[in-house]
Order: sequence, then structure tokens, then C-alpha cells
Amino acid sequence: MSYSDKVIDHYNHPRNVGSMDKSSPDVGTGLVGAPECGDVMKLQIKVNRDTNVIEEAKFKTFGCGSAIASSSLATEWVKGKTVDEALTIKNMDIVKELSLPPVKIHCSVLAEDAIRAAIGDWKKKQESAKPVAAEAK
Amino acid sequence: MSKSTVSTIAAARTHDAAESCWSCGAMRVAQFCGACGKVQPPAPVDYFSFFGLPPKLNLDVATLEKEFYELSRKLHPDLNARAGSKEQEWSLEQSSRLNDAYRTLKDPIKRTQYLLHLEGVQLEEQSKSATEKARATGEVKKQIVPPDLLEEVFELNMQLEELRMEKKTGEDDPALIAEIEKHKAALEQKYEALFQELQSYWKSWDGLIEREQAGQAVPAGERKQALDKMVDVLNRRNYIRNLVRDVNEALEGSS
Repeated sequence: MSYSDKVIDHYNHPRNVGSMDKSSPDVGTGLVGAPECGDVMKLQIKVNRDTNVIEEAKFKTFGCGSAIASSSLATEWVKGKTVDEALTIKNMDIVKELSLPPVKIHCSVLAEDAIRAAIGDWKKKQESAKPVAAEAK
Repeated sequence: MSKSTVSTIAAARTHDAAESCWSCGAMRVAQFCGACGKVQPPAPVDYFSFFGLPPKLNLDVATLEKEFYELSRKLHPDLNARAGSKEQEWSLEQSSRLNDAYRTLKDPIKRTQYLLHLEGVQLEEQSKSATEKARATGEVKKQIVPPDLLEEVFELNMQLEELRMEKKTGEDDPALIAEIEKHKAALEQKYEALFQELQSYWKSWDGLIEREQAGQAVPAGERKQALDKMVDVLNRRNYIRNLVRDVNEALEGSS
């Protein structure tokens, strides 16, 4: 099996590798893993609290080329989107963009999971940051 | 030579391969006719049935081995050299199926995976449909690998990356290697513990099969629960196995 040019490009020049402060209230962190292959993927987003736009996205993935490319692409795609827009990204979009073969579909699933997990983490932080609203309920 | 244990256990399973012998018309078993002993065309039975066993996970490997050797001898193509060409072909096919069945069942992990496969468990499908569900409901998907294990895996991978970098530049950090070794030992312990855990699920699965054999109905939910637990433990085990492999590769040559 050979990788598509886009996968190779992302693999050789991964976008947005790195990390952000996990404890920051504006940062959401998603850490997910694929038991099929043992890959582990960390994706972080920094969200503007007024606009809900994802201003920054970082990732670090230990895994195969497709997993790295999927998460690299995911960070590119979520940047500039609102949180709700980012939630519409589907794994099959990633599969199509990167021309992933069927055996590598789980990598795209992992990337979607990472986006969702990061957003979920961020949302949780926003909720716990508003204790007054929660009590008023 | 002792009377074949094979024919006795196989006789108990004839209903599954309920066909008659091509030669004498008596009831056949998976490999041989119970009456005339002639080799039979391979029947599409699962590996458990091939050995005349119920689909239980606790099995006596010593007995399995004994039966394997006995069947191997009987199915050996040389022994069937004087039989018709059809029979020779069948004995060859049966031999290769025997080897596959034995290799799969004697290994505890392969046996478990095979049972899950028989029960229609599709690991990747499960993960994909869980993601689809999360997409539809907006709920956070429950990860198969527990968060604390993921954290550990991530951290260890960071250290491995550091180690590889150091090796490239010819540096050597004994403290880092010691740290990684410590991690590795902890993971290996976890790996062992997961096997114990798996065996406890074997027990519940086997109990379920025994109830079925006794004619009791087992609710589908209970069956699924038992299978899910095994899937979960195998997933975690795989994860750790891959990680330990990576650690070993990274450590190689650094000491």
C-alpha cells in the first residue's frame, strides 16, 4: 500500500505540531487512541471566548503516516471555524481529502474523535467557569 | 493403540455436520466416518466444532494437543496414499484445516479473538459506529482506551522521542533511560494483569455456554456484555503490547 501525495505532504510537513497550556480556560484538549494500531493522538484548540472561533489548533500524534496526516489536516480545518462548525467535520471528509485506503479509515475516525474530545473538554471548562448560571437553573 | 478419543468427542457433535458418510452412508463426523473410518470431505465447521468442542474458552490444551497429534497421524497424506484421489485430496484439506484449527485454539489470545470473530464482533466497526453516534447526539464518545492509560502512553511516547533524538546526536541520558525502563516494567505488569482479567471473562462466557447447553435461554444482552468485556480487555492489551514493542526498539543499542 502506498500513501497518497497529500498524506506524504502532511507527514513530511505536519501543520501545527505542538502543544498549548492544558490548564488554560480557553484551551480544550482531546487525547484519543486507536486500539487497532496503538496510535495516540493529542489535539488542542484555543477558542476565542467572545466569538467561539477556534483561533489556534495544535496536535501531537504518535502513529502511522495516515494518523499524523489526519490530525494535521484536522488542525488545519478547525482553525478559523466556530466550535459548532468544527463539530460538523466528519471522518469521511478526511478520508476523501487524503485519499485514505479502507485499512486506514480508523485514522480518520481517530482525528474526528480528537476534535470532538477537544471541543468537549473546552465546553466542560466553560460550564464549570459559570457556576452562577448553573446554580440559577 | 488406544481407541480414538476423537471419535467419541466427535460423535457428540455429529448433529452440526449432520451429513452421512459418502462411502458407507453412516453418520459422519468432522473428519472421519464414525462407522467405516473413511476420511470425509471438509465440512464448513468452526474450529471448536472441528475438534468436537463446545465454544468455551477454558480448554485443556494438553488434551487438545493429544487430539491434534492423533488426527494429524490419521489424516497424513502418506497414510491415505492408497486411497482414491478424492480421499487424498480431502485428507490434505482436512490436514491443513486441522493445523489452522490447532494453532488458533491452543493460543489463549488467538482463541479468544477467534471466538469474538465467530460471534460477529467487528472491532473497527464498533469504533466507527460509536463515532457516528457521538456525531448524531453531540455526546462525547467513550474512548476504548481509558484516559489514564492514554496519558501514560502519550507521556512515554514523548520520552521515547527524546531518547531517539539523543541517540541521533550521540548523547546519552542515563536518567531518561532509567525512567523509560521503569515505565516499561510497569506496563509489562499491567499486561500480565490484563491476561488475568481476560481469564475471568472466559469464566463468565463459559458459564453462559454451559447454561445454553443445559437448555436454558441466555438473554442476548448478557451474551453481548460478556463479549464486550473481552473486546475491551484485548484492546487495552494490544495497546500495551505495541507500546512495549516501541520501547524495546527505542532502547535497543542505547545501553
